[in-house]
Amino acid sequence: MLKLFKYIIGVSFFVGISHVSIAQVPAPGTKQEKPIAIMNAVAHLGTGEVIQNSVITFADGKLTNVADATVIRLDLSQYEVINAEGMHAYPGLIASNTIVGLEEIAAVRSTRDQAETGDFNPNVRALIAYNTDSEIIPTTRFNGILYAQTTPRSGRISGSSSVMDLDAWNWEDGVLKADEGIHLNWPTKLLSPRWWTGETEWRENKKYDEQYTEVEKFFKDAASYNNISQPEVTNLKMEAMKGLFDGSKSLYIHTDRAKEIVESVKFAQRMGVSKIVVVGAGQAFYVKDFLKDNDIAVILEDTHRLPDRTADEVDLPYKLPFLLKEAGLKVAIGQWDEVMKVRNLPFGAGTAAAYGLGKEEALKMVTLNPAEIMGVSDKIGSLEVGKIASIVVSEGDLLDMKSNKLAYVFIEGRRVTLEAHQQRLYQKFKDKYENQK
Amino acid sequence: MIKQIFIACLCFVVFSSNAQETFQVNGVKDDRTNLHAFTNATLHVDYQTTMENAILVIKDNKVIALGTDIAVPQGAIVHDLSGKHIYPSFIELSSDIGLPKQKSERARAPQLDPKTSGAFNANDAIKAYFNAVDEYSISKSDAEKLRKAGFGAALSHSKDGLVRGTGVFVALREDAENKVILKERVSSHFSFDKGSSTQDNPSSLMGAIALIKQTYFDADWYTNQDEMVDLSLQAFNDNKGLPQFFDAGVDKLYLLRADRLGDEMGIQYIIKGAGDEYQRLNEIKKTNAKLIVPVNFPDAYDVEDPLDALNVNLEDMKHWELAPYNLKRLADAGIDFTVTSDGLKDAAKLAEMMEKAIEAGLSEELALKALTYTPAKLISMEKSIGSLKNGMIANFIITDGSPFRKKTKIYENWVQGHQHSYVDLIKKDLSGNYQLTLAGKNYDLQVSGEPDKPEFKVVLNDSTKIDVKSNVAKELISMSFKLDTAKEATGKIRLSGWLTEKGMSGNAELPDGNWVKWTASRTGDVEAKEGEKEKKEENEEKNADEAGSLLYPFVAHGKATKPTSETILIKNATVWTNEADGVLENTDVLLQNGKISQIGKNLSASGAKEIDGTGKHLTAGIIDEHSHIAISRGVNEGSEAVTSEVNIEDVVDSEDVNIYRQLSGGVTTSHLLHGSANPIGGRSAIIKLKWGYSPEEMKVSWADKYIKFALGENVKQSNWGEQNTVRFPQTRMGVEQVFIDAFTRAREYEKEWNTYNSLSKKEKANAVAPRRNIELETLVEILNEERFISCHSYVQSEINMLMHVAEKFDFRINTFTHILEGYKLADKMKEQGIGGSTFADWWAYKFEVNDAIPYNAALMHGEGVVTAINSDDAEMGRRLNQEAGKTIKYGGVEEEEALKMVTLNPARLLHLDERLGSIKKGKDADVVLWSDHPLSIYAKAEKTIIEGAIFYDIEQEAQGMKDIQAERARLIAKMQGEKKNGKKTQEAKPKSQIIYHCETEIENYSSLK
Repeated sequence: MLKLFKYIIGVSFFVGISHVSIAQVPAPGTKQEKPIAIMNAVAHLGTGEVIQNSVITFADGKLTNVADATVIRLDLSQYEVINAEGMHAYPGLIASNTIVGLEEIAAVRSTRDQAETGDFNPNVRALIAYNTDSEIIPTTRFNGILYAQTTPRSGRISGSSSVMDLDAWNWEDGVLKADEGIHLNWPTKLLSPRWWTGETEWRENKKYDEQYTEVEKFFKDAASYNNISQPEVTNLKMEAMKGLFDGSKSLYIHTDRAKEIVESVKFAQRMGVSKIVVVGAGQAFYVKDFLKDNDIAVILEDTHRLPDRTADEVDLPYKLPFLLKEAGLKVAIGQWDEVMKVRNLPFGAGTAAAYGLGKEEALKMVTLNPAEIMGVSDKIGSLEVGKIASIVVSEGDLLDMKSNKLAYVFIEGRRVTLEAHQQRLYQKFKDKYENQK
Repeated sequence: MIKQIFIACLCFVVFSSNAQETFQVNGVKDDRTNLHAFTNATLHVDYQTTMENAILVIKDNKVIALGTDIAVPQGAIVHDLSGKHIYPSFIELSSDIGLPKQKSERARAPQLDPKTSGAFNANDAIKAYFNAVDEYSISKSDAEKLRKAGFGAALSHSKDGLVRGTGVFVALREDAENKVILKERVSSHFSFDKGSSTQDNPSSLMGAIALIKQTYFDADWYTNQDEMVDLSLQAFNDNKGLPQFFDAGVDKLYLLRADRLGDEMGIQYIIKGAGDEYQRLNEIKKTNAKLIVPVNFPDAYDVEDPLDALNVNLEDMKHWELAPYNLKRLADAGIDFTVTSDGLKDAAKLAEMMEKAIEAGLSEELALKALTYTPAKLISMEKSIGSLKNGMIANFIITDGSPFRKKTKIYENWVQGHQHSYVDLIKKDLSGNYQLTLAGKNYDLQVSGEPDKPEFKVVLNDSTKIDVKSNVAKELISMSFKLDTAKEATGKIRLSGWLTEKGMSGNAELPDGNWVKWTASRTGDVEAKEGEKEKKEENEEKNADEAGSLLYPFVAHGKATKPTSETILIKNATVWTNEADGVLENTDVLLQNGKISQIGKNLSASGAKEIDGTGKHLTAGIIDEHSHIAISRGVNEGSEAVTSEVNIEDVVDSEDVNIYRQLSGGVTTSHLLHGSANPIGGRSAIIKLKWGYSPEEMKVSWADKYIKFALGENVKQSNWGEQNTVRFPQTRMGVEQVFIDAFTRAREYEKEWNTYNSLSKKEKANAVAPRRNIELETLVEILNEERFISCHSYVQSEINMLMHVAEKFDFRINTFTHILEGYKLADKMKEQGIGGSTFADWWAYKFEVNDAIPYNAALMHGEGVVTAINSDDAEMGRRLNQEAGKTIKYGGVEEEEALKMVTLNPARLLHLDERLGSIKKGKDADVVLWSDHPLSIYAKAEKTIIEGAIFYDIEQEAQGMKDIQAERARLIAKMQGEKKNGKKTQEAKPKSQIIYHCETEIENYSSLK
């Protein structure tokens, strides 16, 4: 059985190569025409549940069955059947708070599109700069990430993010949820050291109160504008803010230190913002009860990072997702330190799994939880009937790099080509050396 | 001896009072007797001799007699010092008083050449030509500050530059410079801080060290050459005979570095430390250096808010507690030191700090020695200053007790026989109860407080006291108060009068304008308040508390004792041997005497510590071929294209917590590389992560020597902004020329020395020895296979280029590191025997890594290149096993081979594989026990063992964290106690570490603002 699969994979690889020899980045998969059934995989639903021997079917890009193969009876004659025995199926992973599609090469300014000038840019939309032909994208989905929240950076309010699928012709067809949130970089009471001068000590931000007042004024003006049914003059910034007050958009507050977490959340509540998410949240553990009492979800930065303080447990960043989950918080695990590293999201989750969380809870933090936080859990985030058929089938455990090896990937039921630039170069030189022998 | 005879004879030598005056006198000559006798004093002749009830006689600026039974000479002005003490005044050795203040103005544009005009050194930071005596100009306010703290003389020197020229020893008083300079060129000064120089080089600590070393060699050569004039080198040579001072007051490792530099140059420096010497006392003792030690003990942190308190590092809290013990511990270790007020916000705080040091156990005697005799001795002036013997300079202070008590008053500070009064000596202590008679009525008047700050109160009854505004000036006194306590009452009684034998008396003007007579007669003493007494006792009890224990290293996760080698038997583990045996199931491994002594089944060893390895995996320790942890102040000396003179070995930082974090990821050995800012970078250090040990102990002494080369965008400064377009090279074309030029020069240099060395002794005597050049010496080592290259590289074309350069000059490239396009020329690398050390999957950060693919390692390995996976990053470094695991995903590398990429293969690339990299009998016992398959994301390093010593043990972590928590809690409670007692606290601000990567370039910051 296993041999047959290798054969199939081999063929698909070949097909992939022939694709990419035409286009720089492989063409998106074609629309699903026939129902597909993935048989006998270990299904990790993203909800915490596992089906050891599963049947997953989908038609027209939607999941139609997710069930125990030993129980359910199905007529497979109408289906294209994929035998995935010994493999693992997952909902596509969701990368939170990334600049995927906005930045190509960090050091080359012309390839950076994430940071607009100015302090308050809620009207600036990541969506339209999202480059579906970014070389980063195929390398990201190669590891099982099928969705990314693409998010502007810098300024006080950096702009609006959108949830994109990672297999599209253009941003119009790639978008799953447009302008779903506004990102506020909360001022910090302490300024981090200017390391390039050799400085190591943090400094007091003497402008904190002033900055707080600026943010407050902006939100008050936005609320005021929101309350006027027919404004005399249209203000694009204020228009963009409207969704925060009617609950159609989330406010993502980017902040790390405990006091700022509390202060910023209380501020947003006072301003009448109903959906609040804390992003970064490095010190969330110290104010976990506050976050729990106020039902605030958090998106954590990369699991693979160093502790902040010398006295922190060496593995504190690894444990943090578990500690916060234990405290009753809704947590998404993020991975955004560098755009190319987004592809390591499954392994950040894997580490969290090893440090208390367990594999299924860790998976949930990169699938269902971020989907819920971004308000797209009716569509993606788990393998449940009715949701979009965005499925990753891996030969082994997806969260472990040594076994993360994708056999099949579907986005909205479309078969996704995995191989791209990096695989092409691999093949090119592998062939060269083989021919030399 | 002669002086003792003087005292015995009781004879006064009358020195010529005809001081030779070269300055003209406007008017009549006005030389006076200047003869003073200080009587009834407790005279501290020197730090170990005290005379009670003694007389000290001075004439002009010298002591001319002292003793207990000598007569007051005729005509002497007598100062009755009953109840007072005379001490030799203090000597400050770390001061720049009276010298022009320098500023550091960092230029944005590159500055490759020096700016100093004239025939001076090639580097602006070499200021050997500076003589403080030439620039010294009395600074009244600065001198006054030091005098008030008890100082009478100072060694003033420039605090600017790496080589700072000579110091001048001055008396701290205001007069013509001609008179107050005690000795002109008394000392020579060095530091690691380039100060006001805006020249790019050196931009790092290792660069500063290398430049100083090179300057020594340049100066040696300069003596015999006749090609050029360099006034800096000339002065450098002229200054060699003086006491050599090194300011290393950053931390204890800087102190050790200064001494190491001195050892290499054959110089024993007198070293200024940072006040944290107790943290590495043994190593510092071994330096044999005499020290200048600051007493800038930190204030307690404000830890009232627990979230703010999180900001304070454990090590900073501990230093707050232990800093006052520093002097005591130095003294106990037999280290000779002088104390400096440098580093105190105000020199006046000296007494308060010394009091803390004495409370911590330092003896008064040694405290006095450290401020008088020792500093004098260090500049060979102990025969004329630092004690009060006959003929010595009349520099002394008059106090009411030990000068090492905050409460002690310094009444007067005599400098060169000149009086400076701070507290009126003859001021009568007015405190007591008085009966005030005023306009026929009697009131109780109470005077309390210090003699120089009396507080007057009129006591109406037990609960009502009226504050009296008062002013006492010499014999005169004035007072005013309102008798009516009602708020709205107006009209004060104003008294003016004078002191009398019984009290005071005078006239007063009443609110109604009438004048009356008043008297106040003393009736008795004021009783001390009971509450104050109790508080005092309580304080004393607290001081008796024992201080916390030391940590090695002195940072959180440091240990009270350093781990040592044990006999360890690991039972029943899955052993990844990296040898022909492959992976052995259910196998025992015995570690003995730091080596792997047996591998097999059912082993036993008496007295061995047994570790159950059931279900666990044992591998060789991870070796990181490319790391930048544990490096002090700068990973790049990128100021020049070739900096082979710098050496990471000079700047290893044993206190970096990232060492411990790497251990928690199973890393046992790291290759600490210079950055990639220039084509020929610095030499590297190979260390074992022996957490707790000193830098010297961590270095692998038997390892081959390495150097960093680099290619590509970093060396041509592609991403450094528009300003940095000056330094050669700016293109890959230029990079080739840098290499060719460097090795051409190295060949010529070698030839020049060979020629010189082949001369006979006689011929040598007539020849000029070539200039020793550290930069070229290092390159010659490469040519002679005594040093090996690890070259940072990305793009195929330039990698090919370097291979051609190597061929041309017949040297060997050992390793291409990063080598992200290695897969494009793996066949060539294999052919030339060059290894590749790469990232598992890093890319997209620069244009030149656009073709970096995660299959690189697999392809190189497939071609037979010795392939390693490295980190270049403190974070990634602690999970290199996972990075190796990625080669299974990308390119299907076999598991055992994948593991070798972070163990045996880097050992081979670093020529350490004779002893490291596999589990083989006889190799070093550097092993890691993993909870799971070592390449799996789920694997945790449970025990990390180096040479049989357990440096990381996951089982001890919970206890370790509890210890940290308990220690923090104890210190926080103690700090709160300080705050309650009204002591000053400082804001709790966090500190961050700079995490170095290849391209991290710190602007060379200077302590000058």
